Amino acid sequence: MSQIVLDKLRERFGTAILETHTNYGDDTAVVDRGVWKAVATFLREDPALDFDMPVDLCGVDYPNRMPRMEVVLHLYSVSKGQRVRIKTRVGDDDMDGAELDSLVGVWPGLNWLEREVFDMSGVRFRGHPDLRRILMYPEFEGHPLQRTYPAQKTQPLVEYRTEDEAGVPLNKLEPFGADEGMPFGRKGLPRDGTSPAVPGRRRSLTEDN
Amino acid sequence: MEPLDVELEEGELELPAEPMHLNMGPSHPAMHGTVRIVLELSGETIVKADVQIGYLHRGFEKMCERGTWAQVFPYVDRLNYVSPMLNNVGYALAVEKMCGLVVPDRCQWYRMALGELARISDHLTCDGAMAMELGAFTPFLWFIKAREMVWDLLEEETGARLTHSFGRIGGMASPPTPDFKGLCRAALPKILELVEEGERMLLKNRIFLERLENVGTISGADATALGWTGPCLRATGVPYDIRKAHPYLKYDEVDFDVPVGTKGDTLDRFLVRLGEIRQSKRIIEQVIEHMPDDGPVNVGDPHVILPEKNAVYTTIEATIQHFKLVMEGAKVPAGECYSYTEGGNGELGYYLVSDGSGTPYRVRIRPPCFQITGGLGKILEGRMLSDIVPTFGSLNMIGGECDH
Amino acid sequence: MPTFKLDGKTIPFEPGDTIIKAAYKQGIDIPHYCWHPGLSAPANCRMCLVEILPKAGQRPLSLDVLELDPKTGEYKVKQKPKLQPACYMAAAEGMEVAADTSEHVVRARHDVQEYLLLNHPVDCPICDQSGECSLQDYWLLHMKTQKRMQDEPVHKPKGVVFGPTIVYDGERCVMCTRCIRFMSEIAKDPVLDMRERGNLNEITVAPGRELDGHYTFMTEHVCPVGALTTKDFRFKARVWFLRTAPSVCQGCATGCNAHLDYDPRYNKAYRYRPRDNEAVNKYWMCDEGMLSYKEAHDGRVIDALVGGRVAPVVKALEEARSLFAGVAPTSVAIVLSARHSLEDNWAMRELGTVLLGSKNVYVSGRPDGYRDDILIHRDKNSNARGVQQIAPGARPLKALLDDVAASRITHVIALGADAPVDPAALGGAKLVVVAAHAGPLVPLAAVVLPATSWAEHAGTYVNAKGMRQVSEKALEPLGASKPAYKQIAELATALGYEPSWSKLSQIRSQLMGTAGADAPAPPGATVVA
Repeated sequence: MSQIVLDKLRERFGTAILETHTNYGDDTAVVDRGVWKAVATFLREDPALDFDMPVDLCGVDYPNRMPRMEVVLHLYSVSKGQRVRIKTRVGDDDMDGAELDSLVGVWPGLNWLEREVFDMSGVRFRGHPDLRRILMYPEFEGHPLQRTYPAQKTQPLVEYRTEDEAGVPLNKLEPFGADEGMPFGRKGLPRDGTSPAVPGRRRSLTEDN
Repeated sequence: MEPLDVELEEGELELPAEPMHLNMGPSHPAMHGTVRIVLELSGETIVKADVQIGYLHRGFEKMCERGTWAQVFPYVDRLNYVSPMLNNVGYALAVEKMCGLVVPDRCQWYRMALGELARISDHLTCDGAMAMELGAFTPFLWFIKAREMVWDLLEEETGARLTHSFGRIGGMASPPTPDFKGLCRAALPKILELVEEGERMLLKNRIFLERLENVGTISGADATALGWTGPCLRATGVPYDIRKAHPYLKYDEVDFDVPVGTKGDTLDRFLVRLGEIRQSKRIIEQVIEHMPDDGPVNVGDPHVILPEKNAVYTTIEATIQHFKLVMEGAKVPAGECYSYTEGGNGELGYYLVSDGSGTPYRVRIRPPCFQITGGLGKILEGRMLSDIVPTFGSLNMIGGECDH
Repeated sequence: MPTFKLDGKTIPFEPGDTIIKAAYKQGIDIPHYCWHPGLSAPANCRMCLVEILPKAGQRPLSLDVLELDPKTGEYKVKQKPKLQPACYMAAAEGMEVAADTSEHVVRARHDVQEYLLLNHPVDCPICDQSGECSLQDYWLLHMKTQKRMQDEPVHKPKGVVFGPTIVYDGERCVMCTRCIRFMSEIAKDPVLDMRERGNLNEITVAPGRELDGHYTFMTEHVCPVGALTTKDFRFKARVWFLRTAPSVCQGCATGCNAHLDYDPRYNKAYRYRPRDNEAVNKYWMCDEGMLSYKEAHDGRVIDALVGGRVAPVVKALEEARSLFAGVAPTSVAIVLSARHSLEDNWAMRELGTVLLGSKNVYVSGRPDGYRDDILIHRDKNSNARGVQQIAPGARPLKALLDDVAASRITHVIALGADAPVDPAALGGAKLVVVAAHAGPLVPLAAVVLPATSWAEHAGTYVNAKGMRQVSEKALEPLGASKPAYKQIAELATALGYEPSWSKLSQIRSQLMGTAGADAPAPPGATVVA
C-alpha cells in the first residue's frame, strides 16, 4: 500500500510521529501520547484520508520497556480502502501514568474497545463516558493481559468448597495445575488414577463410569 | 381499545411513573445465555439499554501467550463455534503472512470450500434461531436440518462436527477426502431447498415481517463509525466485504455477488444472510470445479509441517523435527502483523506480535461481533421492549467470540 | 582494521583471528560443534567448512570427487573446490569467503550433519539437551531430510558416571573434544581424553581418576549435544519451559555473569549458565557458582519473625516500632550487607543516616574462603566493593560487637543475616534484621523482616574489580518476602518517617547523585566504574 497516510501524518505532526514502518504491508505510525487525539481527529476528518471505521484497539505489554504499554489502534477507510495502524506508548513499570485521551468522541465504536483495553491492560482513558470493566467482573483485581499478571492465578468470587464443607465427596478433578495450558509435561498425574495430594478424592480412571 | 370516556386533559392520561428497571439475561433464552441487558423502561419504551458481556470470558488472549503458535488453533475454534473453520483459516493465514508462506493451490481452494461451508452454517444458525425466538419453530428445524448436512460434510472431512482444529500453519491437517466433491455436489442443492422452504414460510408471514421491518434500524455511516462489519454492515447498504475489497485465498478467481440491504433494519440483516448463503453455494460450486484432485496440500517446509508419525518413532531426524515443532513450536519471525479475513460476522482480524520465538508474544483477536454488540444499546434506545429479541437475534452475537 | 568478505558482507578482523571467530564477533554464526570461542580449535567436526574463493587469475584449490551419475549408474570424476574449516583458517585481508552462498558448503553441511546423526539414538524425548541441542538446531537449519542409511546404528556405553557431578552418554557424543580441551586448557586438569577410533570413539576419564575439581560443570556446558549431563540438572526440567534472566553470580566477589534459568510455572530456579563476558568470567563459571542458584530457594527467610516465631509482617513492623520508640540516634547502629545489592544498601544507609540520624554504620558479610587463580575469589560476598563505595566509612561487624558490649549501641538494624565472626555479643542489643537468607544474625534478632533474594528483584552489584553489574529479576517473591529496599521503606514508615523512595527507579536516580557512584548500568550490562 502507498505511504500516503504516513507521509501526511509526518507532514502534519512532524516530530510527534516517533517512528513509522510498513512491515507486512501494514502502515504503522508510533505517535507521541500527547497528540493521540489530534492524530485520530485528523485521520477521521481529513477528506483525503477519511478513516471512518475504528477496526480495533488493543494493548500490548512490554514490561521491560519504558513506557511499557503499547496501545494499538487499527483504522480502516471504507471509501478509500486503506488501513493504518497507530500506536502510542504509556505507563511506567508500575503502570503509573498510563492515561490516554478517549477517542469515543471521534469514533463511537471505540467505547467498548477502550473499556476492554482498560479492563485487560489497565490503561485509563480520560474523558471516556463510562469507563468500567467489560469482560471481567467489577471485583476483579489487576489487569490480566499485563505480562506480569500470572496466568494461573484465580480470583473466584465464591471460595471453592472443600470436601469437609460440602460434607459429601465432590468427585471433582484436581484444580488446574500450574502447568495447565503449557505444551508438555503434566507433572504429578498419578498412573493409577488416584490423586497423590488428596487420597480418594478423585475416582479411578479405570472404574466404570 | 376504546378511549376512556373521561374528560381529562391530554397530559393527565399518562400515569406518572418512575422509569422501570428490567434485567434481561444472562440466563434468558433469547440472550443466548451469555449477555445481560439492564434496561431502563418508560412503559414499554426503552430509555436506556446497558448491554453487559463477559459471561463467557475465558482469557483466550492470555492462553495464547503460553503455548506454541500451532496450539492456538483449538482456541480459535472455540471463539465462533458455529463457524470454527473460518477462524481456523483466518488464523492460519495470519501466521503464514508473518512466516512468508503461501500454501499450495489445492489447499487454498480447500480452505475456501470449507470456509464457505462454515459460513452457510453460521448464517443458517443465525437466521434459524432468530425466527425461533420470534415463535417460528418450524423454519428453525428446517434450517438446523440444513445445518446438519453442512456439519455432516465437515465431519466427513475433519472428523469433528463443531470444533475441528483442522487448520495448520502451512496447510491443513489432512487433504480433502476423495468423496469431498461428490458430497458437496449432493448436499448443496438439498441445503438450498430447505433454506428456500423456510424462507418462503417466513417471508410471507405478516407477523414475522412486521416484527422485523424498520426495527433496529441503523444508517451506514453510524454502523461504520461503530466498527460494524459483515452482514450487519452490508444490510445498511455499505458493500464492504473483505472477500471483494481485499481478496485473499482465491476469492478473486471466483464469481460471486455481495448482497446488500437498503435500510439497515433487522429484516435487511435477515435477508442479507439468506443472500449470502446462496452466494456461498455459488462459490463452493466454483471451488470444486477448480480444486485439483491431487497435489500437495501442505507446504513442503520442515520448519512448520510435522513429519510422519511412523518416522518420528524410528528415526532421529524425524524425532528432531517433531521436537522442534511440538516443543519449541514453529518459529515465527519477530514483528507484528494484522491479518483480516471475512468471518461469519464480519471482519475477523488477528493482530499478532512475535518476538521471534515459538510462542506468540501477543495474539489479539478482533472479533467482529464485539463491536456489533457494542452498538446494540444505541439501536435499542427509543424502541419497544419486544424489539430486543429480533434485533439482538439479527446481530448474531456469538458469546465465545464477543467475550474472548 | 583489516577486513574480508563473507557471503558479500564485509567483516573486520584482528590479525590472527580465524574466519569463524571474526564472524562470531560480528554476530554471524557459522555452524560448528567443536569450535568454542574460549578454546583452541581442533577442526575435527567439519561442520564449519567454507569455500575460499580464488583470487582473480588464480587457480581454485580443488579436489577430484567421484560422483554417481544417476542416469548411467557410473561414477564420474568431478572437480570440486576444497573446502576449508573456518575455525582453523586465519582470515586474511581481502579474502573472499562463501558460506551460505556456496552450494558446496551447503551440501557439505548437510552431509556432515547426516554423518553425525548416523548412529545417533532416538533420544530426544529423554535427553536433557533437547531444546538447546546443536544437532537439533543444525538439522533444521542445514539438513532438513532423512538420512539414507538403513542399518542398525553402532551402540556405545550409556550412562557412564564420570565423577560426582557428570554423567556421560557415548551414543550421543559427536566427538567434538570440547570437554577434553576445556579440562586441559582452562581447568588445567587434563583428566579427560578420547579412546578407540572411527565410529567406536568415546570420551574417557584418565585411569584411576574421576572427573572432579572446581570446574566440572563447565564440561557439560561446553558440550554441544546431550553427551555430558550434570547430575544436578539431569531429568529435572525441560529447557523449553525455562525462561532466563540475566543474573550475576552471588558466590564470590568475582561476580561472574550468568543466565538464571527458571520455570515461571513453579516459580523455581533450575540452573545457572555462564553468560559470556570477556571482562569478567569470559565463558566460564566454577562449580560452586553454578550450584549457587539453589540459594534462591535454600536457606531463605520467607516469613517475618518476632522473637523467633513466625508472625505477619504487619505485626513485625509494629514490634519494631515499639522497640525503637524513644531511642536516641547515637545509640542506634545500622549494618549494611556485602551480599545485598547496591540499591538495598542505599535504602538501608538512607534509613540509618538520613531518617534515623545515626552515624554508626557497619558492614557485614560472609567470611573469606577458598580461592584459585582462575575465577574463584577469596571474598565470598558479591557486593563488598559496592558497600565501600556508598558508605566509605562503614566499620566491620567486629567493631559493632565491641560497641554493643560497651553499651554504646543498644539498637541495631541490620541488612542481611551474615557475619564474618561469631556475632553472639549482638544479643545484648535490640536487633532488627532485614534479610533474604537465614544466617547467624537471625536467631539473635528480635524482629526479622523477609527480603527477596537476588533472583527475585533487580539489583546492582559491584565486583572485586569495581565493575558495576546489574542482575535482573527472575522469580516472583517467595512467601511474604519483598525486595529489601521496599521492606526498609516500610520499616521506615512504621518507625514514623517518610522514606524518599518506593521504587527501584527512584533509588537508581538518587544513587546517581551519590558521590562515588555513577549512573546504574543498563540491564545485564557490566560497567567499569
